Amino acid sequence: MSSDAHAATSRVADVPLSPHFGWAWWLAILASGGLVALLGYTLLSVTIVGVGVWGVNIPYVWGFDLINYAWWIGIANGASLFAATLVLRRHDLRTAVNRFAEGVALFAVICAGIFPIIHLGRPWLFYWTFPYPATFQVWPQFRSTLTWDFWAISTHVIVTSLLWYVGLIPDLATLRDRAKRPMVQRIYGVFALGWRGSVRHWAYHQRAYRLVAILVLPLILIMQSTVAFEFAVTLVPDWHETRQPLHFVATGLAQGLSIVLLVAVLLRWGLRLGRYIDEGDIDLLGKLVLASALVSGYLYIDEIAAALLSGGLTQEATFTRMTGDYAGLYWTAIVYSVLIPQLFWFRSARLSTVGGVFVGVSIGVGIWFDRFSIIVGGLQTDYLPSIGRSYSPTLSETGLFLGTVGLFTALLLLFVRFLPVISMFETRHDEHEEKSS
Amino acid sequence: MTQQPYGIMAEFKTPETLMEAVRAAKRAGFTKLDAFSPFPLSDLAKELGVRTSVIPWIAFAAGLIGAVIQYGSQYWMNAVNYPLNVGGRPLHSWPAFIPASLIVAILWAGAATLIGLLLILRLPRLHHPVFAFPGFERASEDRFFLCIMRDDPMFENEAVHEFFAALSPLAIREVPACG
Repeated sequence: MSSDAHAATSRVADVPLSPHFGWAWWLAILASGGLVALLGYTLLSVTIVGVGVWGVNIPYVWGFDLINYAWWIGIANGASLFAATLVLRRHDLRTAVNRFAEGVALFAVICAGIFPIIHLGRPWLFYWTFPYPATFQVWPQFRSTLTWDFWAISTHVIVTSLLWYVGLIPDLATLRDRAKRPMVQRIYGVFALGWRGSVRHWAYHQRAYRLVAILVLPLILIMQSTVAFEFAVTLVPDWHETRQPLHFVATGLAQGLSIVLLVAVLLRWGLRLGRYIDEGDIDLLGKLVLASALVSGYLYIDEIAAALLSGGLTQEATFTRMTGDYAGLYWTAIVYSVLIPQLFWFRSARLSTVGGVFVGVSIGVGIWFDRFSIIVGGLQTDYLPSIGRSYSPTLSETGLFLGTVGLFTALLLLFVRFLPVISMFETRHDEHEEKSS
Repeated sequence: MTQQPYGIMAEFKTPETLMEAVRAAKRAGFTKLDAFSPFPLSDLAKELGVRTSVIPWIAFAAGLIGAVIQYGSQYWMNAVNYPLNVGGRPLHSWPAFIPASLIVAILWAGAATLIGLLLILRLPRLHHPVFAFPGFERASEDRFFLCIMRDDPMFENEAVHEFFAALSPLAIREVPACG
């Protein structure tokens, strides 16, 4: 016989413990595995042959590598910021989405981290950005934003993965205790680190978890601003703007939220977790996505206003980006990241699975085009007469991008398969509070 | 019995009964108690006198150390050890040293807090006597346990058994010490 609490989280625990997972998961992991192989191939080719296999050249030294880097970082930071805010506000929604929002952030930052390393040209020397006493006695130049980025990415990876893992420990203990097969028990047991649910342990665990979740907030703001500074500190007229950090932070948040919504909707549908991620959660997420899309819209208006208030080449550069050869990128960004999300004014659209997937993907696509427009379109007007070259990605760059999408999906699929996607102890806690109130 | 037990443990069905048991145990004068639950119970932690105020201090101290080391090393490398004139900009460009200092402060604070947490809790550990209690696997799901440990000055087998029996728990058992 099982009590209420027993039944409350068994569905979540049953998912990672079930020995079979259906053909859809295998198909998905096979497809994303294929893309990971493609990633391996493209990484290998660029390492052996060099960045010549990419379409980048003066003045377009940053092509797909930086576009995708900025895009993945946006997802990572948006998702982290969202997760941290929920913990900080002790919002009920955190029970449902926190665990996989942190997962999304972690996997996205892993994908993002690949690009700055590989775009160095000699990726095996990436450790030169770390200040170690080299024999040639040259230190990294800390007055450059590029070195800040090294600290930001490594800090994000370390802190997010630690936070995610520490949050998982009690749930791993549940899996250890519920597992039937000794091998499975042993594996979860090792990762649960011997957690025994002592009330004293819980008190420390919660305090530490909450504190580090709060620390993530300023980290994300600084990190996303650092990415923006990489553009803002150059002399390129379209980039040399103080509004740049705000643009990256705000559109990044929209993007992170949209991917969290996308994953939430898919998990709810695929794993039948409607009880844990309920209609209210999805509705609230939809409203947040809509609000963040409106903020993105505001920033696009701000961009125009800033251009009108400036003058000369800066103004010309912004308007060239909107009307020149790469205007399509700019307008695609507006349509996908601002206009399509307006569908979410309708409650039925917010609650439908198709609507969630559609808008989630749409904002992701929109912000990707926004980064493309900034990085490539923004370079059309410069103080020197342009060489008149254009940029288009080669197959190798496209493969790299698709490869990271595959890596992200593969990591997400493995997470869904082997770990509880919803915090079980938080769910128990919530249900207990509800009952006693 | 030659070997002393680790303690005596009772199993409860709800957090409320566990709370009552803890209060009763304190009234009875027991001091070495440990309670186990499948989710955080902050009131119970307060009742047991758990103080977690060391956690923010760890974060603060580690963050401060991290920031000082980062700022100091940036200053020393770029302004003292390898001064490089970039367009006449000051060697000690303090605003440029701030972002990395803040980020590294967060890195130190976050890592120290979470790793420090494990050290405080003495985890990981491969085994613990309480795991020998039959049915303890439900402590991670829907059951609540209270253990009175042997090193309690009031500990006496019979007395503890009687104390627990008065609370009518689901089970009372001795937890054998291991090794």
